[in-house]
Amino acid sequence: MATIQVEVWLYGPLAHYGGSDDNISAQVYCDLPVGSCMQDLLDVLGMPTEERGITFVNGDLSAMPGMHPDLKHELHAGDRVAFFHMKSMWPFQYRHGVKMAEEFTESMGNREDKGLRSTFEK
Amino acid sequence: MWILRLNMTDRSYKFEDVPESYAMLGGRGLTSTIIYDEVDPTCHPLGPNNKLVFAPGIVTGAASPTSARLSVGGKSPLTGGIKESNAGTSFAPAMAKMRLKAVIVEGKPEQSGEYWTVMISWEGDKPKVEFMPADEYTGKDLYEVFPQIYERFGKKIHVCGVGTAGEFGYANSGIAFNDMKKRPTRYSGRGGLGAVMGSKGLKFLLLNAEGAPGVEYADQEAFKVAAKKLQVALNEHAITKPKGGLNSYGTAVLVNILNEAGGFPTRNFRTGRFEGAAKIAGEAIFETNKKRTGKEVYNHACSPGCVIQCSNTLYSESGDEIVSCIEYESAWALGADCGIDDLDAIGELVRLCNAYGLDTIETGVSIGVAMDSGMIPFGDVKGAINLVHEMGKGTPMGRLLGGGTGMVGKALGNPRIPAVKGQGMPAYEPRAVKGIGVTYATSTMGADHTAGYTIAPEMLSVGGTSDPLASDVAKADLSRAFQMTTAFLDSTGHCLFIAFAILDIPSGFEGMVEEVNAMLGVELTNDSAVALGGEILKRERAFNEAAGLTKVDDRLPEFMKYEPLPPHNVVSDLPDEVFDKVYGEM
Repeated sequence: MATIQVEVWLYGPLAHYGGSDDNISAQVYCDLPVGSCMQDLLDVLGMPTEERGITFVNGDLSAMPGMHPDLKHELHAGDRVAFFHMKSMWPFQYRHGVKMAEEFTESMGNREDKGLRSTFEK
Repeated sequence: MWILRLNMTDRSYKFEDVPESYAMLGGRGLTSTIIYDEVDPTCHPLGPNNKLVFAPGIVTGAASPTSARLSVGGKSPLTGGIKESNAGTSFAPAMAKMRLKAVIVEGKPEQSGEYWTVMISWEGDKPKVEFMPADEYTGKDLYEVFPQIYERFGKKIHVCGVGTAGEFGYANSGIAFNDMKKRPTRYSGRGGLGAVMGSKGLKFLLLNAEGAPGVEYADQEAFKVAAKKLQVALNEHAITKPKGGLNSYGTAVLVNILNEAGGFPTRNFRTGRFEGAAKIAGEAIFETNKKRTGKEVYNHACSPGCVIQCSNTLYSESGDEIVSCIEYESAWALGADCGIDDLDAIGELVRLCNAYGLDTIETGVSIGVAMDSGMIPFGDVKGAINLVHEMGKGTPMGRLLGGGTGMVGKALGNPRIPAVKGQGMPAYEPRAVKGIGVTYATSTMGADHTAGYTIAPEMLSVGGTSDPLASDVAKADLSRAFQMTTAFLDSTGHCLFIAFAILDIPSGFEGMVEEVNAMLGVELTNDSAVALGGEILKRERAFNEAAGLTKVDDRLPEFMKYEPLPPHNVVSDLPDEVFDKVYGEM
């Protein structure tokens, strides 16, 4: 089966999903079948989606705490995926105008507050 | 309440009643209004006609959470415009409890090189003012001098002072205040106000609030209800609650996030991602401390009554304290922007900035420009430490570096000057984070990451042209709304970090406004509170225009227009109309 390799960064308490026990960060490379998506990567890592907060794919914001519209986002060879723990935070004014994944942009656009808040409980 | 004027020319003082027009003002609103009313915008910032104004916030000193901010205002030697820089410190509530609405420092000694301590204590039914020579404290490390001040004047005093950077008149000098452990670590850092204080020969301003009556409430019961609303919001919110994000990792929790977003300015804004980011982030600080001390060390409060408690301490291998506190912006400026990924070295650089009275942001950005210009290599820890010593000791090279980011770039012939209105840009790359770029460009303060920190809940459902995802023009509307709300918040005396809770939990915002109403006996609504913030901005803007700043100064640095920033390879591409719209439609 053809595979792709993605680079994964796990920060803070999520580092143990990458085999590190330092609670600071872990960098791992994961092999996935071609056509795999974010949920598949989470499965390989053994990490429930609820445990992650801010998430990036190639520097594009794809998820925030409590808001994960990227589960079906298809991953490609060489992608860099970064996961943050639930204590992470990113005030709107410091993320206003950053690059966002397509699904995330759409999801924000559907919200009345347009994503200006810091938490996004379901 | 009084306004106290200290005349440093003849060392006289005067208590004045608070004018009716200042009754609703506090913090930034008051410092900026006094500067607007009393200071010639064309004066030299270090001359006798500039003034330095200290003002606690409207609710500072009252029983309200996270409200111990003190605003300091003046004409900035760094930007040439108006400046307000606030700090969280016990000095702030002490001043409020002595019923000092503002202290205005005027004039300057005829003999340069004279320095004075001013002690304000409570005697009978009003404050007492004493001037004392302070020459014995000049030219020294503030970590050495602060204990001497406490030893001489007593443990219950509150201390404000300048280091050698302020004595030398540096545009990157700050004003130091005591923290809860009596260290010189809480700063009104930005804009060179330390130099303004130093130019007036004021080395230390001390308060002893023992016996002071405390603040006056228009309606104390209503205040309790309002403060409770805010307290509940702060305790509930994931970011501000005990052992939440800020309490665990401090503001440096943002390091890895901005780095992954490609918005973490690295090596004088050459790229948006730093390979050593994880080593200098909040997570690394927390875990390094745990390893070195054998326990989880949660952060502490910078000032009395703070429930967020975001100030960290970095401990050495031997368990001794290296420094408190390493903020996100300090970790970035003295770390990634200089290509340095050694956490202990960053701690030492922050400690030296505190010791000499330097703004960590302006200092780090200036060193980054010096490195970019070939003075020393990026990543050169020893070289960076040496440059900070040169500043602190006032060598010819140090004096040049102390002039700030713009000065260093000009002296070294480098067009890559990351500054707006001469003020070094903080830790959010405006090519990658385009919204903050609008605030950097248009803030009355120069490039300032705190100028647009929060927004009123009413503005969340902005829709239409203000949809932040819809258009570039909307970024102007939002930046204006952010800056107006922030100007109000800066006037209350609350820390900006209540922004998370008051935005996400609407009762929190109501609590903040209702506190002000109960304190002053007024009836502000959320809308009129934000409008009040707008009035403050208009005064600041008018001062800047009279000082010679125009809309051409509301721009990001030119090199950001033609240098793509990796990893997204983006340039600054917002049209000038966006920047002009922020104040053009106010």
